Amino acid sequence: MSNVLRPYLAAVRSTLTAALTLENFSSQVVERHNKPEVEARGSKEVLLNPLTISRNENERVLIEPSVNSIRMSIKIKQADEIERILCHKFTRFMMQRAESFVVLRRKPVPGYDISFLITHVHAETMLKHKIVDFIIQFMEEVDREISEMKLSLNARARIVAESYLSAFNA
Amino acid sequence: MILLEPHNVIIQTTLADKIAKPSSLDVAFVDFDGVRFHISTPDRKTVIQLSMNIRCWDELVQFGAMNILQREYGSLLKPSPEPEYNVSLDIDLDQVPAEEEARETFIRSVSLFKRNALAAPFELAFKQQKELEASGSSQSELMQIHYRDEEAIYVQASQDRVTVIFSTVFREETDRIFGKVFLQEFVDARRQPSIQNAPQVLYNSRDPPLEIREVPGLRNTEDIGYVTFVLFPRHFTNPTTATNTISHIQLFRDYLHYHIKCSKAYMHSRMRHRVSEFQKVLNRAKTEVATTERKTASGRTMSNR
Amino acid sequence: MVLVIQRLGLLETQILLWPPIPSKPGNLASKRGVEDLDFFIGDEALANAKTPGYGVHYPIRHGMIDNWDHMERYWEQTIFKYLRAEPEDHYFLLTEPPLNPPENREQTAEIFFESFNIKGLYIAVQAVLALAASWSSNKVTDRTLTGTVIDSGDGVTHVIPCAEGYVIGSAIKNIPIAGRDISQFVLNLMRERGEMTAVPPEDQLKIAGKVKENYSYVCQDIVKEFRKYDAEPYKYFERYDGEHSVTGRKYAVDVGYERFLAPEIFFNPEIYSSDFLTPLPDIVDDVIQASPIDVRRGLYKNIVLSGGSTMFQHFGQRLKRDLKQLVDRRIDASVVSSGSTQRSSGVDVDVISHKRQRYAVWFGGSLLASLPEFYTSCHTKAQYDEIGPSICRRYQIFGSAT
Repeated sequence: MSNVLRPYLAAVRSTLTAALTLENFSSQVVERHNKPEVEARGSKEVLLNPLTISRNENERVLIEPSVNSIRMSIKIKQADEIERILCHKFTRFMMQRAESFVVLRRKPVPGYDISFLITHVHAETMLKHKIVDFIIQFMEEVDREISEMKLSLNARARIVAESYLSAFNA
Repeated sequence: MILLEPHNVIIQTTLADKIAKPSSLDVAFVDFDGVRFHISTPDRKTVIQLSMNIRCWDELVQFGAMNILQREYGSLLKPSPEPEYNVSLDIDLDQVPAEEEARETFIRSVSLFKRNALAAPFELAFKQQKELEASGSSQSELMQIHYRDEEAIYVQASQDRVTVIFSTVFREETDRIFGKVFLQEFVDARRQPSIQNAPQVLYNSRDPPLEIREVPGLRNTEDIGYVTFVLFPRHFTNPTTATNTISHIQLFRDYLHYHIKCSKAYMHSRMRHRVSEFQKVLNRAKTEVATTERKTASGRTMSNR
Repeated sequence: MVLVIQRLGLLETQILLWPPIPSKPGNLASKRGVEDLDFFIGDEALANAKTPGYGVHYPIRHGMIDNWDHMERYWEQTIFKYLRAEPEDHYFLLTEPPLNPPENREQTAEIFFESFNIKGLYIAVQAVLALAASWSSNKVTDRTLTGTVIDSGDGVTHVIPCAEGYVIGSAIKNIPIAGRDISQFVLNLMRERGEMTAVPPEDQLKIAGKVKENYSYVCQDIVKEFRKYDAEPYKYFERYDGEHSVTGRKYAVDVGYERFLAPEIFFNPEIYSSDFLTPLPDIVDDVIQASPIDVRRGLYKNIVLSGGSTMFQHFGQRLKRDLKQLVDRRIDASVVSSGSTQRSSGVDVDVISHKRQRYAVWFGGSLLASLPEFYTSCHTKAQYDEIGPSICRRYQIFGSAT
């Protein structure tokens, strides 16, 4: 992890750990419903203040806590067109497999690239600090993966162009 | 496989099989750029008819495709093609050369059917360049080959070079961006000392280059790009090099798209790897649920469906 | 998924079946370059298998895709090297084994629509295509998609009932006897008789396979057949001539009783294996009896063979005879036990063999792909972009409304 990234991730980690205080909470609006309040938005008083942690204008995290669930959205760094499309491909690929990533939301919150929805069930059946670890590791590696993908795309393009053009000499 | 091959594998293998063991046959298949082939034995087992439908046939005939096919295939060429197809060959399996090597060459030349038809404008341009160089006039007429629905090749001979321009359309956003990266590398690659003899490559996105700006009906939208290859006499004075150059440049568009697709496939396998790594990390968070067998009073076990 | 069928295209199927991919080992994600293009598929793969640095991989195991990375690259080369088609201009028909998990369909759709940008995709169940392939037989008069498919390849034999184009998943049965076992059985028989002493050990299984493919047939009665052979051995024994692949030394083996004993393991499995003892006709009967009662007549009437291990001469007739006996016996028993004087009109049993049996699935695919309604049954790229991969969980059955 680069040193510049560390404070940002540390801030996310502590905020997330603090926000992950969830309890089972039945809907106040509909009888016998128990839904993630952050998604259902049924009653105002169970929603807590959303919070944004930004590293710069292109990289930020939105954490929306509520009484029984939190929603966390990440905006991933996209320096140019290529990174934008690679990031889009990667997050799409991952969200396609949301079934096996239990905490992953199938669609990101508007304005962000990927969202996680952690409910009290997850907090109860899984180790809380490990969930946080997962999200932090994801944030760390996704940047690196995208820039590596970009590099390898450029490298491929170069090899492809060179082998095409050098065939003219043959 | 990095470079695409100029010959058609299906023609090659089918022909080789049928020469070894003639049998009746009726197969339709395709090649790049919407070329359709039909290979059949209409009369008897030993005479194979190979027909080709090519989108820009009329343009190719105008540029002398018939002469080239006549030169390559001679008497094999049928005077009137099969209906719905542009040109047909009749291959009598009894007439195929018996020696191993000659037979290979024959099969190879038949499998280059599409390549030879599409070679016409290039050969013409190479010839025109020679004439222009001798006479000292500046430019020949621009040849247009609309080989795909939305894309075309433009070939023009000048006094000291032949310019080949491809218009390429990317239907997908991802392809467009990947394509841009690739084409930029084509432009830059020539800086390498080892390939300085390669043709010069220019790339314009949106706006058509000067040579074809007068052509009516050109689009200048975001999804279109124009790639210009400048071929110098060293690429086509020697007949073998010329043949090589033609086979090679014809497949440019398919080569580009092939590699864009391969890159996407590569990205997919990277992502698969990465996602499975993430999955492992997340699975570490899951606590082991102690599974004790639950039984009803009568001794039946309960199971989760 | 065994094969790619491309609209308008017909392919040398052999290249495509069971694709071994030799490629350089190592984790793809750690490489930067075009190493992932350095591989061969199909026959070329086997030819290059011995080259140092390459290893053979089988991306498909038991009919299901095992390694998606390899499969994607396999498709990549199939399309661009062999089919030579720009995938953006074409519709694709893929096949899948019965009971393929829908997630696999989604993953396949993702590859085809996102990597290759294909125009449209249809994923068909192999058994249904095998039924469609039987339409080419002149015995078939009505083009129905109801029938029982016996699909026997190299590793396993499936018996699959289909009703109106839908596979009755709950009634499918597998038999662990297929091509590989027959070859092994032939080898055992020939070894016991001492024929294989002249054959180099590495070629023995190959020779057994050749004997199976070229000389075997199904007999109507084993005992009679044995007598026939003993009475006139010179008439029935065949001779197989081989050549050692390295030294070029010639050798010859006699082919005898294995000619009719080899396929017999389908009908009397006890001669080969001690753990699986149910004959094929009994399995077929069980499968049909396990299917809904209203389709059983259709299933008995249209039993279709598919795959290389059903290619034995008279295989169809023998199966039909044995199955008919089973069915008639049951009808007679029920007549007796009901005590009524009314007779059942009986059940038609028919087994259909045809010329395209070996590549029946592929042939059925090309048949359906040439129908004009194929295009309307496909899911297009636009639909995929709108709904996502889950669209491929459901496909319209050919010839059905909506």
